[in-house]
Amino acid sequence: MSGFFGDDTAGMVATWVAALVTIVVLGGLLGERRLFGWTQHLLAGLATGFLALLAVTEVVGPRVVEPLAADPGGRLELWLGLALVGTAAGAPWLPRTVAIVPLAIIIGALAAFALGGAVIGTLLPQLAAVVLVPEESPAAMVAGGAMAVVSALVLFGFIHGMPRGRIGSSAASLGRWLLLAGIGGWLGYLLFSRLLLLLDRIGFLLGDWLGIGR
Amino acid sequence: MTERRALLVRTAPALLVILLGAASLLPLDDQLRLESGDASIVERWSAQLDGLPAQPDVLVGFDPDLGTYAEVRPTVRVMLADLLNRDARLAFVSLTPEGRALALAELERFERIGANPTRLADLGYLPGAEAALVSLARELPPAIEENALARRLAGEGLAEVEAILVVGGNDLGPRSWVEQVAPRIGDVPMLAIAPVILLPEIRPYLATGQLDALVATPRDGAAYRESVDLGGFERLAPTGEPSAAAVLVGLVVALLVLGSALGGRLARPGTPAAAREPR
Repeated sequence: MSGFFGDDTAGMVATWVAALVTIVVLGGLLGERRLFGWTQHLLAGLATGFLALLAVTEVVGPRVVEPLAADPGGRLELWLGLALVGTAAGAPWLPRTVAIVPLAIIIGALAAFALGGAVIGTLLPQLAAVVLVPEESPAAMVAGGAMAVVSALVLFGFIHGMPRGRIGSSAASLGRWLLLAGIGGWLGYLLFSRLLLLLDRIGFLLGDWLGIGR
Repeated sequence: MTERRALLVRTAPALLVILLGAASLLPLDDQLRLESGDASIVERWSAQLDGLPAQPDVLVGFDPDLGTYAEVRPTVRVMLADLLNRDARLAFVSLTPEGRALALAELERFERIGANPTRLADLGYLPGAEAALVSLARELPPAIEENALARRLAGEGLAEVEAILVVGGNDLGPRSWVEQVAPRIGDVPMLAIAPVILLPEIRPYLATGQLDALVATPRDGAAYRESVDLGGFERLAPTGEPSAAAVLVGLVVALLVLGSALGGRLARPGTPAAAREPR
């Protein structure tokens, strides 16, 4: 049971619409591509409509228009933001050096947040966590050592252009197999999760729509 | 390919769907279990939730995606019910449009079932992804509909909440929260529920303690759901669990398909691809 729809008329209509669209999508598995393509357009249209609604009701209205209307002189950052939006919209008609400013800010900000976050939030803490200190328990030392060996073998498997010899080739091969084993384990979980997603749709059709097994 | 084989290949997906549908109706859930045998996952969750103060304020970063939400939905619903059962107050915020759509659906479900609205606050959608996360650490946004909880949280930063629950998806998940929020706030526990596709990138955060608890596999989610006593909040929990019999049938079919592919390859190890083409 998805639990998204109530027992009232609106819920019943929504359940029927969702069930029919689900059947059409499942019909795509049997080769019915035309209706399946139509559902893709429907999804894209609904998503675009929802995004526009969200932008107007929860972003532009309450976070831009209302603050500016309440205090036009006190929100300089919003005026600056509006100017950048205007610049981006008018880019085809503006000199390149002006039109590129909003894009440069977006790219610069994205890179700064992503890079800064990756270094401070991931790289440094993860590196600190793999440093073995003598105070660690024997189990932690063994686990850390095993992790270091596995990492080294996997990395060694991808080093090319240097003579390896018999032992080196075996180590590289072992590294590649270890990597494959890791990916295989993850793919096993993925298969499990994808199966659950399909079962959810089947359960929706049987339980929510047809009322079987409710 | 013979005509019969072509027909089989064409109808195989429909047959699989029918088979799974039939299997999901089998009453075998008492004999077959989905739960993970690893008790540490559940113990970690319980320890974190038991360690929260009375009536904690929990920020729920709700950003699952439409494609994988069904995988984590039962766990998310039980977790939210568990938090409410522990007298927590939940403030929802989304940083992706898909997450916002699903948050609206879940809040509407709460309303329909009759959850106490004074314990819920809808902080809406915050655009800007990573930049929005940074701003969240400084100041929570005003709620869509005001209530006492929303007024109390307004103007406060994330350091003022007692815990953060991240429901992640493909677009924005626990990794972004750990990278952008965790370094900017104090020791606020960060708990996460995510689909299994994110497992390789977020599992290391659990090992380092940057995430205090994590459910990222269906088996761990089932184990957590099984361990929880929701008391009077049972009505907020999902009404149906995934059918273990159908999962078993699906996995057997998958193994058969993989096995036949592997068997065919092993039987013809040196055959060039061109020679295997049908005539």
